[in-house]
Amino acid sequence: MTEDALPLSGLQVLDVSTFIAAPAAAVALADFGADVIKIEAPGEGDPHRHNYKRSATYPRSDRNFPLQLDGRLKRSLALDLKSGSARPVLERLIRRADVMIVNFPPPARERLKLRWQDIEPVNPRLVYCSLTGYGETGPDRDRPGFDVTAYFGRSGILDAARYEGGPPGLSLPAQGDRATAMTLVAAILLGLRHRDRTGKGGWVGTSLYANGAWANGTTLAGVAVGAKPVTRWPPDRPRNALTNLYRTRDERWLQLLMVRDDRLWDRFCEAIGRHELANDPRFTDREERKQRALELHAEIAPVFAARTYAEWEKVLATTGIPFGVIERVVDVVDDEQARHAGIFAETTNPEVPRTVNNPIRLGFAKPRVSGRPAAVGENSEEILRELGYGETEIMTLRKSGALG
Amino acid sequence: MTESALPLAGLRVLDISSFIAAPAAAVVLGDWGADVIKIEGPEGDPNRRIMHDSSNYPKSPVNYPWQMDSRNKRAIVLDLKRSEARAVLDKLIARADVLICNFPPLVREKLKLAYEDIKPVNPRLIYASLTGYGEQGPDRDRPGFDATAYFARSGLLDAQRYENGPPGVPVPAQGDRATAMSLVSAILMALIHRMKTGQGSWVGTSLLGNGLWSCGVVAQAALIGAFLPPRPPPERPRSALGNIYRTADDRWLQITIVRTDKLWAPLCRALGRADLIDDPRFSVEAERRTHSAELAGLLRQTIAKEPYEHWRQALAAEDVTFGVISRPQDVPDDRQAVECGAVVETEIPDMPRTLADPIRLGFARQRIAHPAPSLGQHSDEILREAGLSAADVAALRASGAVQ
Repeated sequence: MTEDALPLSGLQVLDVSTFIAAPAAAVALADFGADVIKIEAPGEGDPHRHNYKRSATYPRSDRNFPLQLDGRLKRSLALDLKSGSARPVLERLIRRADVMIVNFPPPARERLKLRWQDIEPVNPRLVYCSLTGYGETGPDRDRPGFDVTAYFGRSGILDAARYEGGPPGLSLPAQGDRATAMTLVAAILLGLRHRDRTGKGGWVGTSLYANGAWANGTTLAGVAVGAKPVTRWPPDRPRNALTNLYRTRDERWLQLLMVRDDRLWDRFCEAIGRHELANDPRFTDREERKQRALELHAEIAPVFAARTYAEWEKVLATTGIPFGVIERVVDVVDDEQARHAGIFAETTNPEVPRTVNNPIRLGFAKPRVSGRPAAVGENSEEILRELGYGETEIMTLRKSGALG
Repeated sequence: MTESALPLAGLRVLDISSFIAAPAAAVVLGDWGADVIKIEGPEGDPNRRIMHDSSNYPKSPVNYPWQMDSRNKRAIVLDLKRSEARAVLDKLIARADVLICNFPPLVREKLKLAYEDIKPVNPRLIYASLTGYGEQGPDRDRPGFDATAYFARSGLLDAQRYENGPPGVPVPAQGDRATAMSLVSAILMALIHRMKTGQGSWVGTSLLGNGLWSCGVVAQAALIGAFLPPRPPPERPRSALGNIYRTADDRWLQITIVRTDKLWAPLCRALGRADLIDDPRFSVEAERRTHSAELAGLLRQTIAKEPYEHWRQALAAEDVTFGVISRPQDVPDDRQAVECGAVVETEIPDMPRTLADPIRLGFARQRIAHPAPSLGQHSDEILREAGLSAADVAALRASGAVQ
């Protein structure tokens, strides 16, 4: 497969964004052939380059693994957008670009003259894509929003994702950012389709908040018509002890899903080595087992806790009793199914030899293989030469501090 | 704005899928102008009944999940196990641009609905398939759901928990809806490919792949042998400035300060604790980390003294990044949700508001939601459009192939 066959080959993308959601959208475009130029501040670059060292919620490593996800397949141009001499460079880039991605909140965009109305005269065919925390209008449009605040907190997901009486649920680093990136990709592709039909570019965008609300859409649509959100009972206080989570001896969580316990009750008692429970007058029918869920839980929780998950898997496999396990990420990376499904991809970067693949699958093209992500300004000169700048002009820009 | 200006106006989509992720992708295409035909078997999509079947769904006399996932679609009932129905389906496929299905590969083969079966009927068709676990491998034929494939199998639920606590809780359809956006992107890439080459194609995505994409940071770390340390509960945070605190009125305030060097002083002022700014225990980041339990204790006591509204104003006045753990019931009336277009009005009498899809375009607006169809509501009209005569339709109905 040649790169030309990729659906986005030839597409020029300027990624003028920081952190994760917007840069990850640019990665998803690059995976499928787009030429992405990351424009970042000279010196430190995108602050996300340092998250693996700074953020307390990230796994610890001395390798910049998040950059393989959010910086792969991009070229880096270090340009100080606050400097006056950077503007003509940026405008030359914009003139030949198809897509530009930003995530400045509206006031910063205005200060930097990087709003769509500022850019449109430079290139009316551009698809201008902006990501915000909370949207382009409304009282909170200028608030910086992050994954955990705008996507998870504000949308009601964390509140809904908790056990009765417990603290709010937890999200993982960048979990909502990365889901939002796929929406940005869809928005950009709709913008390109519009351009193909009309010859005109336009503004497209999304917000973390709208994506969180969309992800929580089932519950929100319910409460919007007056339904009450459902509370989950914690595994040690189940409403039904036979559709519940049990901790095994090796700290795994076995999910018991015995919906048809009328048919399976005797077999279940036998399988777990508690056949006397089948004749226990407290648990003779479904109604009693539900009413005495806590008593039943007290009987079976220690049984599950006495063996490892692997042992339980053997015991239950042939019984027809539905069960599963809460998988761990550490196991998934070597999961045979994940390999078949192409969920991880090899890289040519020895520091980070495997990465998480784009979830999009196309019968006619495969995502590009990524190498080492570019350092800040690694491609500055090459990009400026492509734009027609000569050595002296480049030197002058460097001296002024506009170019890094 | 006329409907013809919508970017997907004129696109014909067949939605032969069930439940949520794949039908939601068809909804998004419909929002932007596509003509979506929902093809169901005589029993109907089980998503029509999920609110009653799942104990995790909020209960209501309004079938809101069905309205969410089927707005603006037309519906036809085809019994695909009957050969007469197959001829009808081929007629619909011949004039369609996109077909969306979510049968596991084995079922697709049995129904002769694999891409290879369909391509000869319409080589320009974009065939989009959603699976739980991918198109190959030992689990390719296992039905996968949001809670099992996106959340449990990907490792998300295991990672989403407090130290020594039980696994996290998935919110109904959360992963399905996120996955829908990937499927939409895949379909749009195929449309670009078709425009360049004239060829249709197969595209797809899986719930497992999307679950791992969303927890990509943790998965990427695991790929190089780095692991997320267990998350301490709110009383013992790793960083007191990235933590949640309960207010006097039992709300949870979320403090997320990434650049702590810049925002430490404003935070202290907002909390009415300017005395802490130069406190040697907390004045630099390294010290704040070392004393995070102590700092969290101070913040917990301080924040518990005033209601949320007090803190909202105080923190906003100092430009400190914060959030609140909104309750689902707060969102539909949140002014920001309405003004940013997340909560929108509908033309559905018993469900006057719904959630817009998260895409925003400067040149077009999402179609307003009209009621989801009843089972087979548009069967006749769809068959007539496909060129069948009234007599053909009557014969199909008599045979039971169409309802």
